[in-house]
Formats: sequence, C-alpha cells, structure tokens
Amino acid sequence: MKMKQVAFLFLIFLASQTVHSWKKDEFRACDQTPFCKRARFRKPGACTLIAHDVSISDGDLTAKLIPKAPHDQDQDQIKPLTLSVSVYQDGIMRLKIDEDPSLDPPKKRFQVADVVVSEFETKKLWLQSASAEKINGDDGGLSSVVYLSDGYEAVLRHDPFEVYVREKAGNRRVVSLNSHGLFDFEQLRVKKEDEDWEERFRGHTDTRPYGPQSISFDVSFYGSDFVYGIPEHASSFALKPTRGPGVEESEPFRLFNLDVFEYLHESPFGIYGSIPFMVSHGKSGQSSGFFWLNAAEMQIDVLAKGWDAEGGILMPTEQSRIDTFWMSEAGIVDTFFFVGPGPKDVVKQYVSVTGLPAMPQLFSTGYHQCRWNYRDEEDVENVDSKFDEHDIPYDVLWLDIEHTDGKRYFTWDKMLFPHPEEMQRKLAAKGRHMVTIVDPHIKRDESFHLHKDASQRGYYVKDATGKDYDGWCWPGSSSYPDMLNPEIRSWWAEKFSYDNYVGSTPSLYIWNDMNEPSVFNGPEVTMPRDALHLGGVEHRELHNAYGYYFHMATAEGLLKRGDGKDRPFVLSRAFFAGSQRYGAVWTGDNSADWDHLRVSVPMVLTLGLTGMTFSGADVGGFFGNPEPELLVRWYQLGAYYPFFRGHAHHDTKRREPWLFGERNTALMRDAIRIRYTLLPYFYTLFREANVSGVPVVRPLWMEFPSDEAAFSNDEAFMVGNSLLVQGIYTARAKHVSVYLPGKESWYDLRTGTAYKGGKVHKLEVSEESIPAFQRAGTIVPRKDRLRRSSTQMVHDPYTLVIALNSSQAAEGELYVDDGKSYDFKHGAYIHRRFVFSNGHLTSSPVGNSRFSSDCIIERVILLGFTPGAKTALVEPGNQKAEIELGPLRFGGQHAAVAVTIRKPGVRVAEDWKIKIL
Amino acid sequence: MKQRLSLMYLSFILIISSRESSSSIPSNSFIGIPPQDEDYFKREIIKCKNGSKKFTKAQLNDDFCDCPDGTDEPGTSACPLGKFYCKNIGHAPSFQYSSRVNDGICDCCDGSDEYDGKVKCPYTCHEAGKVAMESLKRKIEVYQEGVILRKVEIGLAKRAIARDKAELSGLKNEREVVEKVVHQLEGQVRKLEQEPQEKDDKMREARNEKVENEESGPDKNVDSQIEPMKASDVEKQGQAGESLSDQNEKDEHESSEGLSREELGRLVESRWTGKKSGEQVEETDPVKNDQEEGGPDAEYEESVADNAGRSSTAQYKIGVQDLKNSSDIATPSGKSWLDKIQETAQNFLQSVNFFSIPVANLDANKIRKEYNHYTAKLSDLESRISSLTEKLKFDFGKQNEFYLFYDRCFELKQDKYVYKVCPFRNATQEDGSSETQLG
Repeated sequence: MKMKQVAFLFLIFLASQTVHSWKKDEFRACDQTPFCKRARFRKPGACTLIAHDVSISDGDLTAKLIPKAPHDQDQDQIKPLTLSVSVYQDGIMRLKIDEDPSLDPPKKRFQVADVVVSEFETKKLWLQSASAEKINGDDGGLSSVVYLSDGYEAVLRHDPFEVYVREKAGNRRVVSLNSHGLFDFEQLRVKKEDEDWEERFRGHTDTRPYGPQSISFDVSFYGSDFVYGIPEHASSFALKPTRGPGVEESEPFRLFNLDVFEYLHESPFGIYGSIPFMVSHGKSGQSSGFFWLNAAEMQIDVLAKGWDAEGGILMPTEQSRIDTFWMSEAGIVDTFFFVGPGPKDVVKQYVSVTGLPAMPQLFSTGYHQCRWNYRDEEDVENVDSKFDEHDIPYDVLWLDIEHTDGKRYFTWDKMLFPHPEEMQRKLAAKGRHMVTIVDPHIKRDESFHLHKDASQRGYYVKDATGKDYDGWCWPGSSSYPDMLNPEIRSWWAEKFSYDNYVGSTPSLYIWNDMNEPSVFNGPEVTMPRDALHLGGVEHRELHNAYGYYFHMATAEGLLKRGDGKDRPFVLSRAFFAGSQRYGAVWTGDNSADWDHLRVSVPMVLTLGLTGMTFSGADVGGFFGNPEPELLVRWYQLGAYYPFFRGHAHHDTKRREPWLFGERNTALMRDAIRIRYTLLPYFYTLFREANVSGVPVVRPLWMEFPSDEAAFSNDEAFMVGNSLLVQGIYTARAKHVSVYLPGKESWYDLRTGTAYKGGKVHKLEVSEESIPAFQRAGTIVPRKDRLRRSSTQMVHDPYTLVIALNSSQAAEGELYVDDGKSYDFKHGAYIHRRFVFSNGHLTSSPVGNSRFSSDCIIERVILLGFTPGAKTALVEPGNQKAEIELGPLRFGGQHAAVAVTIRKPGVRVAEDWKIKIL
Repeated sequence: MKQRLSLMYLSFILIISSRESSSSIPSNSFIGIPPQDEDYFKREIIKCKNGSKKFTKAQLNDDFCDCPDGTDEPGTSACPLGKFYCKNIGHAPSFQYSSRVNDGICDCCDGSDEYDGKVKCPYTCHEAGKVAMESLKRKIEVYQEGVILRKVEIGLAKRAIARDKAELSGLKNEREVVEKVVHQLEGQVRKLEQEPQEKDDKMREARNEKVENEESGPDKNVDSQIEPMKASDVEKQGQAGESLSDQNEKDEHESSEGLSREELGRLVESRWTGKKSGEQVEETDPVKNDQEEGGPDAEYEESVADNAGRSSTAQYKIGVQDLKNSSDIATPSGKSWLDKIQETAQNFLQSVNFFSIPVANLDANKIRKEYNHYTAKLSDLESRISSLTEKLKFDFGKQNEFYLFYDRCFELKQDKYVYKVCPFRNATQEDGSSETQLG
C-alpha cells in the first residue's frame, strides 16, 4: 500500500514536471543580459546631458546633447548627440536622438525602415519658431517650447535635458522623457585592448564586433492609473509593476520575438511578436501613448509608485503618474508621443504613424479549421464534408507543414497531396478557401530550386563570418532570406505567382509561421545576434522586425498574384509595429487549459490596442487535449475573437466540433453560428478599424473612458461599441459575476433580458453560451440564415437588432462591399447609418458610396420596446409591415421572443424610413 | 424529358422575378414538403410542429421564418432549422438542410433546391440512382460473401465445439483415474513419511510452480486447425510506416551545451514533434512484415476516431495468438493410454510393496517422485479442464459463429500505433515500446 502511494506521488510529480515544460534556463533573464543589467543599476539623475545649440532647422526643433561637465578621466569622451523634435498633425510629437553622422561614428546605427508610412511625413507641421521659457520649479533653467496642436505644446528643457508634451492651458503634463535622468546612450567606439566584447550564453557566442551600444531612458505618463500595450506577453491587460516597492523580484517586460515552447500563461517574458507602444489611461478619462520605433531587444520596467523615493528627484507636478523605464540593446531613439486625449484618439494617432489595419476579405472573418496536420486529400475531403453533414459553417481549411515535400515550402507531398488544384477547386466550389503554410527557413538542398536560387543570388542572411547562415528548423539544415532587403522581398513575392507556386489556385492563401525567426539550434531558439543583413546591419538591430518584413513580403506576393485586385490574407506568428497593414496574427502555441483560455482575452485586447486588430488565439489550445467543456467554452469565446480559428498539435486527439457527442456538437455549432449571424457587424467593425485603427475587440474603458471599475477589467471585452462579452474561464461554473459599465441597460443576447448598467451582476451560467450583451442605444446588423460559408450569405437578407435606451432611441451602422477587392477604395461600398428615435427607424448613407446589393432587411427586432403596436409603415411606398412577437434568435434551446417588425422588405442599399404606428 | 421540364421551370422562375429578388418566394408553396406531410400543410391555420406558434397558409414558404423549428419554411432558407425535401425522381428522395436552399450549389440531384435562377442545376438523379444501385449491389454482394463465410465459420465452429466437448469429457474421465492414483500414492507417501511435513510442502510448491511454467508452451491444437481469416475486404494499401531519423540519443534535461549544432537543432525540434531525438521505434511485433516507408512527413500524425473507417491508410494483420491455455498432456487418444497409466502405477506400487518395512530410502524417493509426477499431471488436467469450461461459457453468437475467434487476434496499424484486438479478451494500442489497454 505504502509503495503504491509513493509510486502515485511520483507519478504526480512527473506530471507536474511536464506541465511546466517552459525551459526558463534557455532564455536570458535581465541579469544575464549585460545591457539590461547595467541599465537597471542606473540611478535616477545619472544622466548629465544638457541640450545645447537649441534651434529651429528644417521645421524641427533641434539641439545637441552634451555632457554638462566634461569628464575628467576622459577616455570615453562622449561626442555630442543630435536631438530633433518634430510635430505632426493630430497631436503627435516625434523625438529622435542619434549619434552625429558628421562626427564619423564607426558605424551607422540602424533605423527601422519601412514601418512609418509614407503618408505620415505629409502630416508634418513645419515649426517656425520656439519660445524660450523659464518654467517654475526648474531652478531658473531655460526650456524651449513649440506648438504641437491646438491644445498641446512640446517642451525641451535644456538643463538637465528633458522632453515632454503638455496641455497648453494649466501646464498639465501628458508624457515626458528623461524626467528622472535615467537617459543613457552607449556610443559606438573603438575597442580597447584589454576589452572583451564577446558574450556567451549556453554555449553560444555572440562576437559583438561593435561592442556595447544600448540605449535606456525613463518615460512618465501623467494623469495615469494604468498602462497597457507593449505586446506580446501572456499577462494581464493592465500591466503590473515590475520593479519598486511591493514588487517581488521580477523581470522587466521583454520584447524579443521568440518561439517559446509551451509558454506560461502569466509571465512578462517576450514571446512571438513585439510592438514597443504603450498606452496610459486614468481617472480623468484621458489616455496618452508612447511608441519607440526600435527593433532590437527591448526590456521595459513598469515602476511601482515610490520606486524613486531615494532618488531625490522631485517631479515638478502633483499629477498622478506612472513611470516606466525603457532599455534597448541597439538602434537609435526614434520615439513618438501621442497626446490622446481619448483612448480612441491615441490609437488613431499611433496608426497614423504605423499604418491602418488592412481590410480583410470577408471570408477570413468567418471560422477557420486548422490542424497539424490534415494529412492527405482524403482527410481534407472528409473533414470538409463533415462540416456539411453537421450543418456547421466554416470558410477556410488549413494545411500545416506536413503537406509539403520534405518541408520545402511551395511544394506538395506527392503521395499525400497528388492533386492540390483539384482539392482547392472542390473547396472553392462550396465557396470555401484553403490556407497553406510558408515559413522563412529554406531547406538547404541543392535540388530545391528555391534554395539554389537564393544561395546563388546571395539572398540569405549571413553569419558573422560572412557565409550563408546555416540554422536548423523543420527541414533540417536551413537558411533564411534577408527580408530587410526590398529586392529580396520582391523576389520572395514573385514566388507566390500561380506559375511559381505550382498547385496553387486563386482560393489559396498563406500562413507564415516560425518567422521570429525560429532556429532550433540558435541562441534562445533564434538567429544569432551577430548574423548580418543588408548593408552590414546586425541581426541584433532588427531582430524584432524580421518576421514583420517576412509577413510584408508574403502579403505583397499575394497582392501581386492577384494583379493588385485581390486583398491578401496572410496569418503571421511574429509581428512588429505596422504588421496590421499586412494581415492577421495569432497568439501562437498556447495550451489546452483554462488559464490559457483566460489569458487569451488580455492578449487579444493588447494586440487590438496596439494596432493589430485582426488577432485571435487557437481555439481549443494548441498543446494538449481539451476536455469537451473547455473546448465548448473556447468556441463560445473564440466566436468573438476577431480571428477565429481552431487549431491543434499533431499529438493531440482529433477535436473537430462533431467528435464529442451530439450535445457538444450542437453547442459548438451554435457558437460558430453566432459568429456567422454577426458577420455583418464584424465586417462593419473591420471597416471601422480600417479607417480609424479603432480595434474590433476593445477594452471596456475604450467605450467607457471614465468608468474606473472598467480600467483593469480584462475578463470582459467589447466587440465594437455595441456588444459586451465575457468568457467562462472555469470548469462547471454555476455563477459568474459580470460588470456591465455605463448608465444604460444591457440586453442578454440569448434571452433578451435587460440588466442595469454600472453594476456587477451575479448571473447563472448557461451551458448554451457565455454571457454576452447588447448595449442599450445600439443597432446591430445580423444575417440570421445559416449557410455553408460566408460566400453563400452574400445575397441573404438582414436582421436589425435595435436595443433601445432609456429615451427609446438607438443607432448603428452597416458597411458592405464586395468582400474581396479594393474597389471599396473607389467608393464601391454601402455604408448606412441607422437611427431609431420617436418610433421611426431611418436609414441614411454615410459618405458617398456606389455599390449595389439586392439584399433586403427581412426583420427588425426591438429590445426594450413596449409591445402594443401592430403595424409599421414603410416609406417610400407606404407599405405596411406587421409587428408581432418573434424569435430573438434561431438555434439553441431558449425560445426567447421579442417585438419584431415582420418583412419590412426595404433594400439595404437605399434610403428608407420605417414608422411604427 | 425531365431536363426540359426543369429548364422550363427555371425560366418560369426567371420571368416572375419579383421586387424581392434576393429572397425569392417559391412559386409552388408546397415546395420542400414531403408528400406524406402535404395534408398537414393544407389547412388555413397551421401549427408549428413544436407547438410554439400558429401560422397562416399565406405564411407557408413566404421566405420569413415564423416557427423557430422551421415548420413554416420547408422550401426556403429562412429558418435555420428547416429541412428541404427533394423528390429526386429516378433516385431516392432526400432531406437537405435549409442552408442549402438557393445557396448557389446544387444539392438535390433533381436540382429543386436551387430555384432562384442564379444557377442551373443539371438533373442527375438517374445517374446518381444508377451509382447508388451499383453500390447497393456491391453491398449485397459483400453481404452474401459474408453469409457464406459465416456458414463456413459455423461449420468449423460446430466441429471445434464437438471436439472441445469430447476433449473435456475425456479429460474429466482421465482426471478421475489420475485422482485415484494420486490418492493411492498419497497413502503410501504418508506411510513413508518420516521427515517433517514442511519440507515436503515446499517441494510440492516448487513443483507446482514448475508445472505452471511448463503450461505456457505453444498450443499445437489450436494452431493447426485455424486458418488466417480471409481479409478480402481489407485494402492492403498500407501507409505511413514509422521512419524515425537516426538521431543521437540525448536526454532532454541534459544541458544542451556541448552538443553539435545539428544535435541541438534536433533536440529542440523534438519538443514540438514529440519524438525524442534519436529515439528508434522498436519493432516489437515479429508478425509485422514489410514496413512501408510513408512520405517522410506523414509519419507522426495521429489519426483518430473519425479516421477509423479509412481503410485505405490502414493495414490489417491477423495472427494467431499463443495462448496460455494449451497443454501438452491433452492428447485424448482413447482408453489404451488411460489403461497404461493405471497399469504403470499399479505395477509400480506392487513392486514397491515387495519390500518389507522399513522401506529403503531409495524407494521412498521413488514413491515421492511418482507421487509428484501424478500430482503434476492432475493439476495440468485440472487447468486444461477449467480453461475449456471457461471457453465454452462465452457467448459466441447465435450459432457459435465466432467460436474460432476465441484464440485469434487482429491487428490494425494506424501511423505510429498498432491496434490489437483479441476478441473475448482485450484490446491494446501499442506505440513503439509502450502499450495501452483500451476499454
């Protein structure tokens, strides 16, 4: 008996060992990373640089940064740094600090290319003059003040140097840099004889031929209670302090794109992508933002209140604030300050720098079915037909790496996929699409044309000695095209033409995986930092943007393939600031457990806040086998992710929605159907993101900026401005507490029950759905008919769901276009605004659109409307439509009913009015 | 003729295209209703089938969903839960989900699900009917083949049962005889007994153990009579052998320092693929023949539940399991053999009795030896009897057609797993070295 117990305990121990299989030791902690360790030891006030020669030149405010007192032991004579402040429309200030090129530095430091959109430069405001000011509390030192926007000014304090943005009236600060004197800029220099610049980590040697070149500084956000952003981490949405009073030993938030095997659900550790953009928000309801355009490894501390108590630096303001500390291994200071003041303003300002999210194809907003791997054509056909058999809609079937001939991308395994074109045509005949994987590692095989071509042309990234870098990935020995080089990107893009990608058809789209890049035998499972790119740029300088350039080149390939007429769809795992222009991302290899379901929400919210609106987590969890309840809950939540895909590791059991018994099949089908009925709403939101950057899925406080209770809520989220959704994150949950913000009511999507806003509701949990509500005062367009895929829904009629507010009014929008081309850019779209007030529903155009649709409105559902009226009058035409009680939605067991205007029959593309009599 | 009719029908629809072109109302309000239900829909006021609501005749197939269960819209796509009936003359009628109605894809072979004029569906029921007929014929053939096979099995089973039963009764007789002999010997042994009982017990135990071990020899009886099952319906297209690359064994937890670059690459890769770098799959099953090398990429895919029917990628193997219930003593060749035993035993006893008391040590040993010999024989007999009795207790089907499956096992290879089913015993899933019992 005893023995058995011991054995059992041992088994448990083994199991717990495999759960924590994240190999922490294999990744560098801050104190193993010299630049991070050095920077964290810096004391406030250590920076002695002052701004000198301050002037206006070329429309910028410029200065030289020099040490206040020349160093005594003057071996490291710091050369002056150049500083420039530029201002742009809509409240954006750009601050650049670099080495002075005229002083002949050993090497030009890397500036991240092709991220800032070209239109941004056209928004530059040419500064004419700066005013010199003595600001109270600055010990009589001078500051140069320039105009930023109508309500804001940019300020450069000279001694000690500090840059900040403030409100014009009242001198309230918004965002500042170097207020704590932590700024440090390691200049490139000649190696001294006794110096050893090499760094070693777990058997890997980084030659570091240019020595230390890191940059660090402090950034403060004023009027701020929380900071958010800087993906990608699996952690809470509101960023927790990483240093200071009350914080246990913690790592900074790391930004370093890595392929982390079985990442933890709560960690500041960097994973697949990096966006060095932080947003702050506070009680005032105001937000601000800060973006550092730098693609080297970055580490960011969020400092707890009181961290500087011993530093002795008195901040010249009583405003509440959050201080942060930013450190990067290389590159330059190229930073953007966003004044807000609203949360949506900050996002708009950020995307005016890095670009608007691409408008996705309609099909890609439906459900995607993926698995590593659908093994052959028969399997594909079988899975496809099972969806039909169970009447579950889906739009895209995915093929992972095993579809290739020996992991040579752009090829097919001839045994398993002998007829790829026919296979795609069969799917396309049902309006469905296929996605295949194309990764950046190219098999080093002389008989592989792609490798031969790339090596002959010298297109691969080089190792420190100048030879083609040879790493290890799925195909074995592999090399990586240098995507920094526009010529190579264009060469890559050509590979997607129908001629070059044999077996591809117009219904085939692409998935970019492993583009961090993942290198199995590299340091920290990536490329060595001393590998060389175009123009001698070291990999350390652009690491975080490698995947971005790869994603860009692939998207350009699909664009070229379709003669610029077909919107690309490319899913990428790695990303950087600006990736929103090229497609979707997902949160990588998560696990089939409730914690990963839970953390997917803050992760998707963070991505949306930082421009990457088209994102989602693998439904079901990539690693491991979800119990059916978890899988069902994941579908119910995933149906509201902007990107909705089921995916699984090859060692997991099959988990297509029909494999868990009738009841679970029905639940998953219903979850997927809900997504499809809401596609018109989602598509409208994708268009909103496409013109404004405001994400499809957003935090509660973006819609309710003054509602403090919403600031750190990351278990619920808004889909657009109308729907609030909260996941169920535990097994066998009976009750759930849901906070509904604002003053207006909320209507349960399933039951139609109204709940008061501004309070926490303890609700019974239903197996049928997760809590989801429509906000009073909004109109949501739906298509209630079920189809095989979004393709067959094009001509189907609409349902409008009107949730009336306390003054019996509501409004909403609908955007429609052809779902695939760029004709919408030339006005080929329908954009309607629906307003309900005084018992009248009117449809009016937004903008000047020219697109025809034969779709009608078949049903108008009124929530919160006092029943009684029997008829409505439809104008023009003066036709009558009946009003009765009709089903709130179809499917599910709940037969909730609501006041319904039956068959008004109005066309969605036209102006009309429906009057309730 | 049929084709022309459907064409006329289509053009008719085109002509009457209404203002609400997107949600076309069918010209025939009874479309999508099966004939047996037509009466139900002939009333002026019709009930939703789930009783939730009533609707008027005008609301039948008016392209607006009134009944949540879809009763009022059998012929349109308006109700997500609706079912569309296609007549499919020339083939079998069928129900389609309402999601298929006017979705631009021809689902019914008579094309009746696409009546809004957006696509023209060819009339394919006759062809489909033919194909269905063919496949039905094939099914019948397979069934008939099965019936024949079953008859053969029943015949074989009958014989086998008779034989087993005969053996059983023979064994029981034999047991009686041997028991007697053992009794007699026991008496002798007791008389002879001078030494402490303990020692004897120990010896007996030891012998019994030995006997048990001997029992696990190969079963010649069973072996010789069973032919491998004919697997004519099983496609032999095997797929996906496991060809693991020749990697060097390395413990995951070992430090990765000091590994060659390739070793490190393989080690890290193995985390995702689940293959231990360097692990070789052991060929534990000797029956396995020609391992086919599948595409190098196909190997590690686990294919599961929904794949079970995909015989084209599966490889069946049928073999005879060596079973423990065999025995080398059970060759029931009639009385002569039994007589012999009795004779020998009696002779022996007599010869011993020639000598007067005290019996020499040598004789005592002889008696003990004989006693042990027959005890062992008896326990062999008993175990064979009990295993035969056990076997005959099972339900082998109405006509005992599965009798011969008792000693057989069937194997199915699916990628890296070998599934083994031994009827009346167990089912396992083997993955290289590890074996999982399946319920």
